[in-house]
Amino acid sequence: MISTKKRARAITLVVGAAAVALIASGCSSAGSGASSDTKGVTINVVLAVDPPPKSELAEFTKQTGITVKWTNIDWDSLQTKIAAAATAKTYFADATDVDWSRVGQLGKLGWFYPMQNYLNTKSLVSSMPQINSFTVGNKVVGIPFDASFTTTTVNKTMFAKAGITTMPTTMTDYTSDLHKVKDAGVAQYPLNIPFAASEGLSTYWYQTTAAFGGTVLDGKGKPQFSKPNSAGYKAAEWMIDGLKSGLVPPGNINVTDSQGMQTLMAKGQTASTLSDYSGNVGSLYDVPASSSVVNQVIYIPTPGVSGPAHNLGNPDGIGIPVNAKYPKAAAKFITWFTSEESQLNFAGANGPDKVLPSYALPSRLSAVDALTTKGKLLGGDTLADLLKNSARPVFPQGAPIWYPDFSRAVSTNLHAAAAGDMSVADAIKAITAATDKLASGS
Amino acid sequence: MTVGIATGGRPSVREDGPRPVRRRKRKFDPLPWLLVSPLMIFIIALALVPAGFTIGASFFRVQELNPPAVFNGIQNFVKLFSDGAIVSSIGNTGLYVLIGVALSTLLGIVFAVVLQQRFRGRSALVAILILPWALPGVVEGIVWVNIWDGNTGLLNSVLTSLHLIGHYQVFLGQNQFVTILLIEIVQVWQITPLSALLILAALQNIPGDLYEAASLDGASPWQTFRRVTMPLIRPGITIAMVQAVIATLNVFDQPYVLNGAAATGSSVTMQTYFVSFQSLDFGEGYALSLLITVATLVVSFVVLKLVYRPVEF
Repeated sequence: MISTKKRARAITLVVGAAAVALIASGCSSAGSGASSDTKGVTINVVLAVDPPPKSELAEFTKQTGITVKWTNIDWDSLQTKIAAAATAKTYFADATDVDWSRVGQLGKLGWFYPMQNYLNTKSLVSSMPQINSFTVGNKVVGIPFDASFTTTTVNKTMFAKAGITTMPTTMTDYTSDLHKVKDAGVAQYPLNIPFAASEGLSTYWYQTTAAFGGTVLDGKGKPQFSKPNSAGYKAAEWMIDGLKSGLVPPGNINVTDSQGMQTLMAKGQTASTLSDYSGNVGSLYDVPASSSVVNQVIYIPTPGVSGPAHNLGNPDGIGIPVNAKYPKAAAKFITWFTSEESQLNFAGANGPDKVLPSYALPSRLSAVDALTTKGKLLGGDTLADLLKNSARPVFPQGAPIWYPDFSRAVSTNLHAAAAGDMSVADAIKAITAATDKLASGS
Repeated sequence: MTVGIATGGRPSVREDGPRPVRRRKRKFDPLPWLLVSPLMIFIIALALVPAGFTIGASFFRVQELNPPAVFNGIQNFVKLFSDGAIVSSIGNTGLYVLIGVALSTLLGIVFAVVLQQRFRGRSALVAILILPWALPGVVEGIVWVNIWDGNTGLLNSVLTSLHLIGHYQVFLGQNQFVTILLIEIVQVWQITPLSALLILAALQNIPGDLYEAASLDGASPWQTFRRVTMPLIRPGITIAMVQAVIATLNVFDQPYVLNGAAATGSSVTMQTYFVSFQSLDFGEGYALSLLITVATLVVSFVVLKLVYRPVEF
């Protein structure tokens, strides 16, 4: 018979061992030692998008012997997890999101493997123009898996009701046409601008600045929007004037980009969005379940000063964190995920059972061309042309390392101007001061 | 001779008559320690160690983009108070706490008193009441976006249908106090169920004969509530208020979803997120987290001192 003393000692040992194991498991870093195995391994892919169909992932496993465990996390939480895991030097995923706006930070931080270690990135430049948005210095920190860029959408039916049949190519004509739509009573508020203090407002301003013929920052990160005759200043004035003159719904001061697209453009409340997203016609406006303007919305080249302006890229990318367990296997997955064949499948070229839900637009030009030829891409001709000839990175030299702070300064001050808390001049002054401070590193 | 239970839990035999008390040397019993050790390990590993680390690191410059970490005294705290966005968020958070704690406590008492009554469908009502508490803050934010929305929101639709307003109004983002009030109503909707249940538990502990006595003494329902119920549910109210203080001081999801990063509604925890995970200045983030922790402790202590009174039946 075991004595009480012995039993207590045994319990103590068990609990002690369990405690040590618990602490050890909690404190240990799982990122020690990456494996170059590619057969019979399971990789974790974490993105802010739904997974491809199971059959597609099964096909990848059959081809490579790599099993994919897919996790879909919302974008904000995902960025937090990437930062927390990288800071703690802990394993988080084998492949995950690389956002174009964080490329500057990521290039300096070294949180992701340079993709040229695993793929021939130079050969991808011609077929994937938006790879530039993921390049900082000589490092390519991610591969674009779609080709999202900002473009202008117009409800042609509403424009036609106001007597407009020729689409505007300049900002002057565009503004005049919007007033015509309003004056004709076709839409009380014809223009959608999301004035909520979030990234969507910043992006809209960058695109509007491009429409007025400029950029927001120069190559050294210096603000280009301080003077009243600058494109950025004019863009801010145009946006706020749009709200004050009744072109933009008053409630838009708290509307985000996606909310405006879903509840205003897709419901026929507004007739145009200057800075919409490529792919929205196919994935939102022409989907009967989510839209009351099916077959009414078209892409047009974004109006500019004297003709169409550049469009700005905001593609979604995928990369390999340095604490990945199976970086080689992850690279194989990325190669497959961004291949022409997969992108055609995801975009619906080969039937609905291979579609990746809410997939914007293939990042490979060859896939865009093939989709257009097959007639599977709504507005394909316009999109393919814009992607080849007009789309540019927001920051050609790569996003500055302080981009998140800059974007927040832009969105909060423009929002305050829209809400009437400050003038456009004061908003621009505040954004300039914040940018100067960030660029000086203080 | 009588048989009793000795301290150690074993039956003992005691001789009648006085006997000098001998203090037995108590043997160390590891069992209680073993039983609490898992919890202790969790608290130490997941609360005390990180708290200690946060306190220490808040006095270092820990910037991922500017390594290595170096001791910089109170510079992180100085920087915090020279940042207009953070100072403004402190004021906003103060308002969130005041409105949130007051409203959730008041509503918690009302709901608890209602739920104390026996009526048909009471259990179903409790289940429905608990629902907002179980929903994630982000989901609630999205639900309420569709209510407060200035273009297509439900509230505008209802008020217009009732002819209370002539045209749609913009509720969020134009007036700072109104914005904070409307955002906090969403959080109150979330935290009130827990407050109500905590107060209901305290209510159910009150012996019925106290109410009988009050009735015999001719006390009106209001007098009974004020003189009998309220004093006896103070411990429950205290716990409800403290949980409301913790929730409102850490409000994030609701202002972030409903009002973005706008200064009109930005909270301290939102600023902590921006500083830590967008600017990657963890030193300043640690300092801000420490301030929130200290504020939580101080405000909770004040609530405890002002509201809590021990109750014995």
